[in-house]
Amino acid sequence: MTAASLVARNLRDWRLRLLAGALGLVALTFFVRPLALTRDGVAVLAIVDITGSMNVRDYAGTDGQPASRLETAKAALRDLVAGLPCGSRFALGLFTERRPFLLFAPIETCGGFAPIEGALEAIDWRMAWEGDSRISAGLFRSIDLAAELGTDLVFITDGQEAPPLPSSGGPAFEGKPGAVRGLIVGAGAPGLSPIPRYNDRGRETGFYGAGDVQQENRFGPPPSDAESREGYNPRNAPFGAAAATGTEHLSSVREPYLRKLGRETGLTYAHLDGPGGLAAALKTAATPRPVPGRLDPRPFLGGAALVLLLAAFLSPHLRARGFPTWKKA
Amino acid sequence: MNDALARFCVDHPGLLWLLPLALLPLLVSAQRSTPVAAIAAGPADGLSRAIGRVVRAGGILSFAGLILALSGPYRQGETIIRTGIGAQVSILIDRSGSMNETFAGRQPSGAEESKAAASRRLLAAFVGSRAHDQFAVTAFSTAPMLVVPMTDRHDAVRAAIAAIDRPGLDYTNIARGLAMGLSQFGPASPATSRALLLVSDGAAVIDPRAQDALRAAFTRLRPNLYWLFLRTKGSPSISDRPAGEDTPQAAPERHLDLFFRSLRIPYRAFEAEGAEAVAEAIAQIERLERDPIPYTEQRPRRDLTGLAYGLSLIGLLILVAAKLGEADLRRVRAASGPTAKPRASAPEPTRLAA
Repeated sequence: MTAASLVARNLRDWRLRLLAGALGLVALTFFVRPLALTRDGVAVLAIVDITGSMNVRDYAGTDGQPASRLETAKAALRDLVAGLPCGSRFALGLFTERRPFLLFAPIETCGGFAPIEGALEAIDWRMAWEGDSRISAGLFRSIDLAAELGTDLVFITDGQEAPPLPSSGGPAFEGKPGAVRGLIVGAGAPGLSPIPRYNDRGRETGFYGAGDVQQENRFGPPPSDAESREGYNPRNAPFGAAAATGTEHLSSVREPYLRKLGRETGLTYAHLDGPGGLAAALKTAATPRPVPGRLDPRPFLGGAALVLLLAAFLSPHLRARGFPTWKKA
Repeated sequence: MNDALARFCVDHPGLLWLLPLALLPLLVSAQRSTPVAAIAAGPADGLSRAIGRVVRAGGILSFAGLILALSGPYRQGETIIRTGIGAQVSILIDRSGSMNETFAGRQPSGAEESKAAASRRLLAAFVGSRAHDQFAVTAFSTAPMLVVPMTDRHDAVRAAIAAIDRPGLDYTNIARGLAMGLSQFGPASPATSRALLLVSDGAAVIDPRAQDALRAAFTRLRPNLYWLFLRTKGSPSISDRPAGEDTPQAAPERHLDLFFRSLRIPYRAFEAEGAEAVAEAIAQIERLERDPIPYTEQRPRRDLTGLAYGLSLIGLLILVAAKLGEADLRRVRAASGPTAKPRASAPEPTRLAA
């Protein structure tokens, strides 16, 4: 038997063919180029509520310590931005009083990740310029802002209006519902928690008590049940004689109210469950915007080569143990 | 060497759990196995042993290379410090409501430009005119707001500046704004040239307690201070003495200027009453900030996937060559007898026994 006939015979060996296949696949990895493809990115404006009720610590942090709603919202946004495909754009704003304040116009999320992360990290309730928290007004103006910037909206709030809404309800949404898509994210636990209170030097001094906040909005016409209240007098005591009582000094996420705002404005409601999980909710709610992506085909070739290599080494042994293989030696 | 190892990273570390598979060639072989009555019958053959080892090594190499390649290895990018011309510029922007008025103190109409829009346009041109400048943007009204931390990503800085002609907020609380603007410098080598650029259309009283804290911070950081004062026509200038009492409450602009002068740091005030004057002031600042600055250059990470595939390719070549050169001793014997063994098959029995 000559060397040539030996090689020819070996060429019929299926294990050689498996190895040669693996060799071919690996060799191919040096020639393939990344495939150009289009991925779904997003362009989003995130508005973060920095009013006092966002300081409520009703989340658990990574170390098990209580974490405030604001800290959790910041972590969730950081996680969201880190997971967005390159080419997505992210703008950031703050909400307090009755209006959003744009910190920066949309930035590309991969190249600009460091500044975005730094800006998110720096968000603080001390940046608030006024104390009110008129959520619906802030939300409607945030929608206008997102429309101007041409982005979707992520509005993170706990939904606690301060002062409370009058009995006639909040302002009506005048825009076109659904023109701006996005999320209203409800931050906070469903149970009531005390709201931390800070002094004018920014140090925490305790919690708000029932008498520290407005429990009922007594501007505008009185509610319809006012006549049945004790001491009601249409001229002198249209809201009844008793001081208003309530739980406005405690805070929980006001989901029914945020859902109602979502229905009015065409935004999707999602609850903030922790420092993650916004990405999936945003993906379904946001407008997909094509961004160029690249697919590296090498892992597929390499994976197939590894399977062939394993088959070449293991199949005789598997067959010997009674595992079915596809070809006889 | 340690340094090189420390910078070695993979994208999917979970896949490295497959690496023990690379020991498979030590246990099983892809070669054909031939039963031999007594392996000791053949003489010990150094060449055969060597070939056996090479084939095993080839097997290990192909497995390890493939698994490594699949896990996406790369060498981390490194940060190199170089020196260029530029500065760390902390831009502190007044976002009080009056910035949205024109230089004439009116709401802008038609082709008129508000003070905020003019500074937005001119600052955006300033950012990015030199590659090695680093910028931070802070906004302030009642409270200071960190907009963008010190960064060399000029796109991000321009995006932050693009937001400054949005409707402004309430008041001008300049002390807290200055404190945050100074805090943006962070730790840097003392040789770094730092500039604090305050863009405002008014001033406010800084209370004495805050003055001391600010004075300490200015002394420690020693930034060059530029105050771009966007003066509304008809309002008092920095240098105007008020007619009545000369108190900070009566002339906050003048007293802020006096405070800045008392800091004993390089300080210049530019009073601009129109967009051209703002442009002139910014050009002047650009000329003044010409010190060498150490800047960091990010070397991109180096993809090592190709190298891993290359290793695997070498291993596979050895395996395929071994398979091609392999002989079936039984068939050879049957065909031509043990004497006519082809040369290529000679090491076979010892190799399998090894």
